[in-house]
Amino acid sequence: MAAAAALALTGCAGGGDSTGGDSTSLNIYAWAGEVSDSMVKEFEEETGISVTLDTFDSNETMIAKLASGGSGYDIVQPSQYAVQLLIGQQLIQEIDHDQVDGMDNLMEKFRDPSFDPGNKYSIPWVWGTTGLLYNEACTGEEITSWKSMFDEKYKGKIYMLDNMLAAYIVGLQVNGLSATSTSEEDLEIATQTLIDQKALLAGYNSTNYYELVASGDACMAEAWGGSSVAQAVADNPDVKYVLPEEGGSLWTDSFAIAADAPNADAAYKWLNFILRPEVAAAATNNDLMATANAAAAEFITDEELLNNPAIFAPEEQLENSEFIVDPGEAMRFYQDGWTRVKAS
Amino acid sequence: MRTQAGARRPVRRINVSAWLLLTPGLLSVLLLAIVPVMLVARNSFAESDVYGAVIGGFTLEHYVTLTDTVYAKTIGYSLGMATITTVFCLTLGYIVSNYIVAQTPQRQSLLLLLLIVPFWTDFLVRTFAWITLLGRGGPLLSFFNLFGLDLDSLVPSQTAVMLALIYAFLPTAVFPIYASMRGIDPSLREAATDLGAGWWQTHGRVIAPISLPGIIGAVLLTFVPTLGVFVIPVLLGGGKELLVGNLIVTLYTEFRNQPMGAALSMVVFALMLISLAIAALLLQLRKRRVA
Amino acid sequence: MDRALGWVTKLVFVFLYIPIVAVVVYSFNASASTSNWGGVSLHWYGELFSDGPLLETLRTSLIIGVLAAGLSTVIGFLSALGLTRYRVKGRMFFIGVVVLPLIIPEIVLGVALLTIFGTAGIKLSIVTVILGHMIVTLPLTTLILMGSLASLDSTLPEAAADLGCTPWQNFTRVLFPLTRSAMLAAFLLSFTTSFSNIVISTFTSGIGGTTMPLRVYSLLKTGITPEINALGSLLILFTVVIIFLVGLRQMRRIVIGAEEPDMSTTAISTQTTKGKASL
Repeated sequence: MAAAAALALTGCAGGGDSTGGDSTSLNIYAWAGEVSDSMVKEFEEETGISVTLDTFDSNETMIAKLASGGSGYDIVQPSQYAVQLLIGQQLIQEIDHDQVDGMDNLMEKFRDPSFDPGNKYSIPWVWGTTGLLYNEACTGEEITSWKSMFDEKYKGKIYMLDNMLAAYIVGLQVNGLSATSTSEEDLEIATQTLIDQKALLAGYNSTNYYELVASGDACMAEAWGGSSVAQAVADNPDVKYVLPEEGGSLWTDSFAIAADAPNADAAYKWLNFILRPEVAAAATNNDLMATANAAAAEFITDEELLNNPAIFAPEEQLENSEFIVDPGEAMRFYQDGWTRVKAS
Repeated sequence: MRTQAGARRPVRRINVSAWLLLTPGLLSVLLLAIVPVMLVARNSFAESDVYGAVIGGFTLEHYVTLTDTVYAKTIGYSLGMATITTVFCLTLGYIVSNYIVAQTPQRQSLLLLLLIVPFWTDFLVRTFAWITLLGRGGPLLSFFNLFGLDLDSLVPSQTAVMLALIYAFLPTAVFPIYASMRGIDPSLREAATDLGAGWWQTHGRVIAPISLPGIIGAVLLTFVPTLGVFVIPVLLGGGKELLVGNLIVTLYTEFRNQPMGAALSMVVFALMLISLAIAALLLQLRKRRVA
Repeated sequence: MDRALGWVTKLVFVFLYIPIVAVVVYSFNASASTSNWGGVSLHWYGELFSDGPLLETLRTSLIIGVLAAGLSTVIGFLSALGLTRYRVKGRMFFIGVVVLPLIIPEIVLGVALLTIFGTAGIKLSIVTVILGHMIVTLPLTTLILMGSLASLDSTLPEAAADLGCTPWQNFTRVLFPLTRSAMLAAFLLSFTTSFSNIVISTFTSGIGGTTMPLRVYSLLKTGITPEINALGSLLILFTVVIIFLVGLRQMRRIVIGAEEPDMSTTAISTQTTKGKASL
């Protein structure tokens, strides 16, 4: 009995059955909080395609699922370095630009990015920065540099992101090195810096650091500019988000089509859908994220959002920022270093 | 199958039935546990490409890397945490079991019931509760504030992790010890006291040895899972100390080094097998002593 | 000494219940912050019931739990039967095999399952999650049912057969009633294990297979909302209800595997005689 029920479910699970014609379903695998329900409903109503939206909270989990084969997803939403990994492992397919309308709506900096020249494989949806979140009431002064994260006087009140690539942004940039360095010596220096920093830290936190900074439990934290950080900044005038003078980094989450997508035509419909300015504006209006769509600016309902540095970082601060890309072969150095930092 | 009373049944049929009954279970374990783990073991000797995928070959490099002090430290730290948690759970479990067996049967059922509720409550919910309780502004810190102690938030911290671990495994430690203690004739205790044995002597020489199977069971049910724990440290730990479970997941995801993740998994697996072997050995020794 | 330890025990019980009480109390907290008290309110329960995605995952977890536990109990029963009723060669070895999934670290097993599903080309879906949960709970059900079957008088089924029962009747009228409480125990234990499982679910879930713990885990990681307290309170209530439905005495038996047979031998022969009469 149980077996029969299980078999029945197999029929239900998985994507639709598209034989190059009109698909009736679409399976999306996206970051939690970046594709809103209302957006999905609008798409469903307009196209009659039923959407299954699953979410992930780390690129690596998403890549692992795709790499294991047979995941059944059509649209995935990787971050910029994950796009490179997916291309390298041939897990996403080239986008036929003839089938996509609206690429011109994208902002300049996302139209031919270093991690995906010509947008061959991905269409940026939202973007953000990795910078410094601090509580001025706690620090007593303005913070402008990563160096403050190594200052004795804030001992026990500093948080770093619990993420290897993010931590190394700080470790490398504070030493004047590039955040995308792949040289062993550079990484050695950065590793030592991070090990030295550990004693000053309250911890590594990628989850609720913004709450800790907002409440004053922490004076500052390395932070991903995004919806929760933006909310913290908007709610509390003491809480400030900046890109440090060393640069910080840029990230972007883009939509891509899985290599073995069962409903490729529905996927294209989705891509066309999200490139529309009024739809793209939803990312900012509903989810408090910076849309990569320039034309969407006129549809953003709340002026405040445009001025929130945690959402749209000011151009001057972005000058020294780079996209974090996949270290490739140099991964070993990062991995080895990070393990040493964590175990020290 | 209708037979006359007293008719003989062919022996062969029994064995075929036995095999038939065992097939689903054995097949499941074979396909869903043994073969997958063998695959992981095989992968631990494989080479990886830039993306961390397995590309065959044979190499010991991953195991060699694991002998680096960094990994020894991590494994050691995990072993230490598992040991401390087990000691606490064992001690408290013993005390609680001892108390329960001394109650009336009805009270015993009630107390066991009280233990089951936390045991069956969803584990995430319980962990979340600890985050609330130990965090800033939470009742615990407010309580200490009343006495003028201004403590920093206990979450995240290793203390919080330890507390949550003990909390999670305490009921599982009580049940086996209780099951063993139940069989002890209460007159044994009386006899021991009458003969002049103090508390320590009674327990050390009489109660504990008889409850040994239960104690060993409790140790295994606590130590083994704690060694591979991963959710609690992530939610409560603050990330400054590295535990083996987190490292394995990181190796498979962030580090994209599947073969090394496989190698570390095998090492942890081996550690668990060793603890089981020790437990089995202790039980054998006890059987021989008692007999 | 015993008195002091008595107090320790009471403290332990208090310790065990603090988080549970906290969850329930805070679920009625009007204030959004989990650390400030803002008055009594049912707001979070409202949030919970309007949180579509979360309720969806609750449904998924229920389906997976029932199916996985059901499968596990059935297979566990068959294995237990095979291992206790018959003198199979290498019995200890087979017991070891069945118990194997218990000692494999869950992460290793999760990864291993993902690997094998990928290699075999099996798509990840609710089915793969069910299989994963089933294998993790199989040792438990087998052991529980072995304990129950082993404590039965082994001559009973034989006696029943001698009195004219077919194997099926043997099962329904003799074995099943005797092992009913153990089967219930096995099922419930498997269900709760599956329901709260995180690690295996992470690695084996595919489209639409997000379970409740996975959702809560990712909610906890990105932003705590007190509706989780409301969810927790309901789960606690659910647990208590199940316990009372099953009955205090049964629970005691389930938890420690007590060996009190449900029926006396006279009752059994009455049953089997009835069976014969209907043939």
